[in-house]
Amino acid sequence: MSPAPSVASKLYADDVSLLMVLVDTNPFFWGTAAANSSSLSFSSFLSHVLAFLNSIHLVNQLNHVVVIATGFNSCQCVYDSSETTNRISDDGLPAVYLKLLHNLEEFVNNDEKMCKNDFQTGLTSSLLSGSLSMALCYIQRVFRSGPLHPQPRILCIQGSPDGPEQYVAIMNSIFSAQRSMVPIDSCVIGAQHSAFLQQASYITGGVYLKPQHLDGLFQYLSMVLSFNDMTLILHEMQAFLFLCLAVWALTSTCSQMQTVFATDLHSRSVLQLPKPVGVDFRASCFCHKNTIDMGYICSVCLSIFCEHHKKCSTCGSVFGQPQADASKADRKRKAPGSPRHPRA
Amino acid sequence: MPQVRIIAKNFMDMVSALPAMKLDKLYENPFICEAILRSLPPLAKKYVLQMLYIENPILAKSMEEWLLADGYSKHKVALDRLVQLRVFSEISDSRKRETSYILNPTFQANLQKHLVYGGVLPREPMSSAITNRLPSLEDLEAYALEQWECFLLQLINSAQAERHSNISSSMMKVFQRGLLSQRDKEAPKLTEHGFQFLLMDTNAQLWYIIREYISNSEERGVDSADLISFLLELSFHATGEAYNVNTLTEFQKCIIKDLADLGLVKLQQGRKESWFIPTKLASNLSVSLSDTSSREQGFVVVETNFRMYAYSSSKLNCEILRLFSRIEYQLPNLIVGAITKESLYDAFENGISAEQIISFLQQNAHPRVAERVPSVPENVTDQIRLWESDLNRVEMMSAYVYDDFPSRDVFESACDFDSGLLWEDSKKMRMVVKGEIHMHMREYLRRQK
Repeated sequence: MSPAPSVASKLYADDVSLLMVLVDTNPFFWGTAAANSSSLSFSSFLSHVLAFLNSIHLVNQLNHVVVIATGFNSCQCVYDSSETTNRISDDGLPAVYLKLLHNLEEFVNNDEKMCKNDFQTGLTSSLLSGSLSMALCYIQRVFRSGPLHPQPRILCIQGSPDGPEQYVAIMNSIFSAQRSMVPIDSCVIGAQHSAFLQQASYITGGVYLKPQHLDGLFQYLSMVLSFNDMTLILHEMQAFLFLCLAVWALTSTCSQMQTVFATDLHSRSVLQLPKPVGVDFRASCFCHKNTIDMGYICSVCLSIFCEHHKKCSTCGSVFGQPQADASKADRKRKAPGSPRHPRA
Repeated sequence: MPQVRIIAKNFMDMVSALPAMKLDKLYENPFICEAILRSLPPLAKKYVLQMLYIENPILAKSMEEWLLADGYSKHKVALDRLVQLRVFSEISDSRKRETSYILNPTFQANLQKHLVYGGVLPREPMSSAITNRLPSLEDLEAYALEQWECFLLQLINSAQAERHSNISSSMMKVFQRGLLSQRDKEAPKLTEHGFQFLLMDTNAQLWYIIREYISNSEERGVDSADLISFLLELSFHATGEAYNVNTLTEFQKCIIKDLADLGLVKLQQGRKESWFIPTKLASNLSVSLSDTSSREQGFVVVETNFRMYAYSSSKLNCEILRLFSRIEYQLPNLIVGAITKESLYDAFENGISAEQIISFLQQNAHPRVAERVPSVPENVTDQIRLWESDLNRVEMMSAYVYDDFPSRDVFESACDFDSGLLWEDSKKMRMVVKGEIHMHMREYLRRQK
C-alpha cells in the first residue's frame, strides 16, 4: 500500500486531469481566415480540436474535459465530458460530437444575433476574459465537490487579437488562476502574438505556443480524400455540413497541439516544453484602454493611466500637479519581469 | 515497508507476462490497446501519443532530447514498460551501435482509429423498452458491494456467510489458497497473507482475486488471453446499462456467471431475453492506475484516547477491525472499539504489521477526520509503532563463544579475522562470533596453531 495517504492531498496521485479548452469562435477572425487561403478554416480547426479531445480521453478514462466557446459577445460551455456517455448515434457519428457541434452552432448563432444589436466597428477581439473566468469558476466548483479531484489546467486556443479593454478583467483572472495553481496554456493561431496570453502563461507557469507554420500542422489533411464514403453520408446531413466535415477530417492530427498540450502536469516536470521567447508585459491604461509603453501609475492603488489626471478614477486619491521639468522622472516605466497587480 | 506484497501491482504485469504471440494477438482488439495505454505511466502514455503518427523508428538518442535533465529515471521506467508490453519494439543497429524504437503497428493503427472516431462502446446497450425497471446506479453499487462482501465473508469464513454464492467450492479453494491455511481437523486459519489481503482496498482485493481466477483458467481449459481480453472489454461497458447476453460467445456466457457472483455484473432475466448490467467493480477493472484512484468513503474515527468509532453496519468491516482492536459494542450503524496493547499483540502475532494497521486506519478515515492532518492522531500511530518495536527488542541469533586463547596475538588476530564478531572481552580473552562464520573461524584458529 502506498505510504502517506495521510497527507490530505485531494489531488489524484496520477495524471488525471481536468482540462478546460477555450475555443475562439469569433466570426471576425474566422471570416478573415476563410478569405485567406493560407490560413486554416474553421472546420479543419475543429477537426483538430476534436482529435485532441479524443486523445485526452484516450489516455485516461477519468480525464475530464470541458469546452468553452469564446465568442465575440458571449461565451458558453458547449461540451462537458462528465455529462455525456459516448455512443454511436443513428447517424453514425459519435453522439458526443453531434451534441458539441449542435451546441456550438446554436452558440455561434446567438452570438451573431447579439453582435447585430451593438455592433462597433474596429473592435474584433473575443470575450476572452469572460471565458477565462467561466473556466476558473468551473474549476472551483470541481474543487469543492467530491473527495478527490483531478489536476486542472486551462488551454486557450485564440485567434483573434487582444482586446485592450479587457485588460483588467483578464489580469484578474490570470492572478486568480495563479493563486489556485491552475496553469494556463495558450495556443495562438492568429497572425500576431497575444500579449495577454503570453503574460497568462508566463505568470501561471503554462506553455505559450504560436505555431510557426500553420500549413505544417495540417500535413495530414490530404488524407481526408480517402474518406469518400463518409463524405457521402455528410451530404445527407446538410444542416451540419460545415461542422461535420470537421469530424471526418480527423485523420489529420495537429501534431503540435497533441504533443505539447496533451502533456499532463505530472509529466511536465520531466519533459522539455517550448520556452517563451519573450513576453510582452505591456499593460493597458484604465482610462482609454490603450496598450501603452509608458504611463502614469497611481501610487496608492497602482492603477495605470496614459495621461495625467487630477484624481485617480479607481481609488479617488488626489494627484499633485506634474512639474514641467520633473515630468520625465514622473513617468515610470513598468519594470519587465514584475507585473503589478491591477485592481479593477 | 517490510511486508511482502502478495499481489502484483496490477493486471498489466500479468498481461506483460503473456508470450509474445498472444500479446500481439491481443492488440488486435482496440479495447485492449486502450486499456493498455491507460495503464501505462504518464510519461509512457505521452511517448505513445508522440509516436502515434510516426512510422519510422526513432533513435533512442533523439528521444532523450525530449527530456529535462532530471527526468532520466522516469524515462527509463517508461521505456522499459513500453518494451515489456511490446508496445515499442527495440531495433538495435549493431554496426552503428544505435538503438531505436518503433511503435507496434497494430497498436498504432487501433489508436489512430480511436482518435478519429472517439471511444465507442463494445456493444450496444439494449433499449429500455425491453428492459423495464433497470436498477438505479446507487442500487447497483450497493448490490455490487453486498455481493463482494458476501464473497469475502465466504472466503474467510464459510460458516459466517449468510447465503452462499454459487461459486463452486473448487473455485473457492483456489481463491483461498495462500490466504487460509488449514491443518488437519482444525478450522481454517487466516495466514499472514490473508490478513494483508483483508486490509487492502476493494480494488486491490478484486485484482488479487481476478489474478487468481486468470492464472487458474488454464487448468479449467480456458485460454487466459481470451479471458483477459473479455475482462478488459467488460470494463469498457457503460455502468448501469443492460446488455444482451446473446451477444456473448458461449465461453463468455460461462464466465459471466462467475463474474456475477463476484458482483462485477448483475444478471437479469426478462420475459424472453436475459441481460447483464456491469457494475462499478467491472469498470474499475481497467483502472489499474494507482491505489488512490478509487478511494471509498471512509468510516473510521480514531480518538487520541485510543478509542475507535466505525460508522459501518457491515459484518466484514467488523471482522476486519476485530483483527487488531477490541470491539466493545455494536450499534446498528456503529461499531465501537478500542485499540489496546493486547489486541495489537494478537495482530502482530498474526503477521500484520503496524504500518498496515496505520495505513488501513488512514485510508478508511471518516470524511470528517480525513480532512485533518494527520487523520489518525499522532500519539496513536506512534504508540502502535512503539508496541510493534517492543516485540522486536530482542533479536535471536545463533552464535559461538570462544575462550582460552593460547596467546594475546592469536586472540587479536582472531578478532580482526572477519566481520562476524559480535562481542569481545580483551581482558579475559573471550569473544562471540556469528554462527555462520564458526566454521571459518575454527579453520583459521587450527591453522594458527
